[in-house]
Amino acid sequence: MAEHTVQSFDHELETLGRSIAEMGGIAEKMLADSMDALARVDTEMARRVVAMDPRLDALQRQIEEQAILTLALRQPMALDLREIIAAIRVSGDLERVGDLAKNIGKRTLKIAGEARIPRAMVGLRHMNDLAAIQLKDVLDAYAHRDEARARAVWLRDGELDALEDSVFRDLLTFMMEDPRNISFCTHLLFCSKNIERVGDHATNIAETVVYLVTGNTLPLERPKGLGSSLPLTA
Amino acid sequence: MTANLTENMAKKISIENLDFFYGETKALKAIDLPLYSNQVTAFIGPSGCGKSTLLRVLNRMYDLYPKQRAEGKVLLDGENILDAKVDINLLRSRVGMVFQKPTPFPMSIYENIAFGIRLYEKLSKSELDMRVEDALKGAALWGEVKDKLGTSGLSLSGGQQQRLCIARTVAIQPEVILLDEPASALDPISTAKIEELIDELKQKYTIAIVTHNMQQAARVSQYTAFMYLGQLIEYDATPRIFTSPQQKQTQDYITGRFG
Repeated sequence: MAEHTVQSFDHELETLGRSIAEMGGIAEKMLADSMDALARVDTEMARRVVAMDPRLDALQRQIEEQAILTLALRQPMALDLREIIAAIRVSGDLERVGDLAKNIGKRTLKIAGEARIPRAMVGLRHMNDLAAIQLKDVLDAYAHRDEARARAVWLRDGELDALEDSVFRDLLTFMMEDPRNISFCTHLLFCSKNIERVGDHATNIAETVVYLVTGNTLPLERPKGLGSSLPLTA
Repeated sequence: MTANLTENMAKKISIENLDFFYGETKALKAIDLPLYSNQVTAFIGPSGCGKSTLLRVLNRMYDLYPKQRAEGKVLLDGENILDAKVDINLLRSRVGMVFQKPTPFPMSIYENIAFGIRLYEKLSKSELDMRVEDALKGAALWGEVKDKLGTSGLSLSGGQQQRLCIARTVAIQPEVILLDEPASALDPISTAKIEELIDELKQKYTIAIVTHNMQQAARVSQYTAFMYLGQLIEYDATPRIFTSPQQKQTQDYITGRFG
């Protein structure tokens, strides 16, 4: 893409892009560390994850302010307009990813005193790995303006939903086996929900990337997993 | 969506394979374009791209100059207005034009409007009064001038003068209104009034507007044509042009990346 006649406009867009990249890096690290902390019930690490969140919030606010200023000053059109809207949306999603990882960190602190069920972590770890791949792929798609890769992320979200379903069943079984597991497993249920929602945010970002690159929006219905197998009584 | 929308709409003007020459210089190259009834079509493009030239073809303004000629077809309700047999005066009463700089006649506000009407129609004083009032109301100027219709049109502010010119155009009850940079010499409030007016005028008229102000084109028009070096590069529904144009040149121009 050629440069703008007004060069400071290019700098503003570059700054936005760099800030998004930094947010993406922090969100990825928080997600990975939150899972490690949870699996090992490492309270030190969990606290570090929680402590990373303010930086993400500050970056999001900074991106928003910059984007609003650019809208007001440049009245951007076409690709530029989509660029700015995408920055606002993606930063919002990444900020939420940070919140979800932080929440896993906080739950790790809470379950530190409880009896643990190592088997219960297997499914969660699996979910987290998948969510991390989704997040990484979609951030790459954003960085490279890669529509095909974004679409792939969008289509893969169903797998994460299906995994959450199976984690739900496992945790329910543990709770039925022994009521003393209920507290621990309930925290894990929330963690699995958090991870599933990280996937949703990755999907949102994928939709934003497709819009950014093509100007077209994806269908309203996100791809769902194996139908409605998730019990509604949850 | 665009396709469905356009299928049901009447073409007021259909430009077909239009070439235009200033002497030896070809200023428009094979332009094909519809102007839909009761819609505003905006023409954008860098200076010298041919957008004003195109506008001047639509009421044969170029006829005033000897070495200028148009080839191809411009169908107004199916009739080719480039045909030598066409009555130019009648054509210009059907296709009115407003220019960049307000051009009120050096006469009273009333006469500025009445003058044009008298050229085409013989009306009684009361009928004429009515037509002047309607025209001034149609141009959203009546409230500001109704108590001083006898004062000179030149005494008005720039924005009022421009609306007076629009009133003058509206007064002879045209079918199409051509606006060549109608707000570029006006302050933001006057500009807003003109834009509001354009939105109202499209209920009755088919409108073509040339503007250098991209945001203005985006605000007032339903269709936008981007022209460059005498060619029509892209034509589409306005929201499409300004959010996701299909041609790289269009994108470069509207995002400020052009040369």
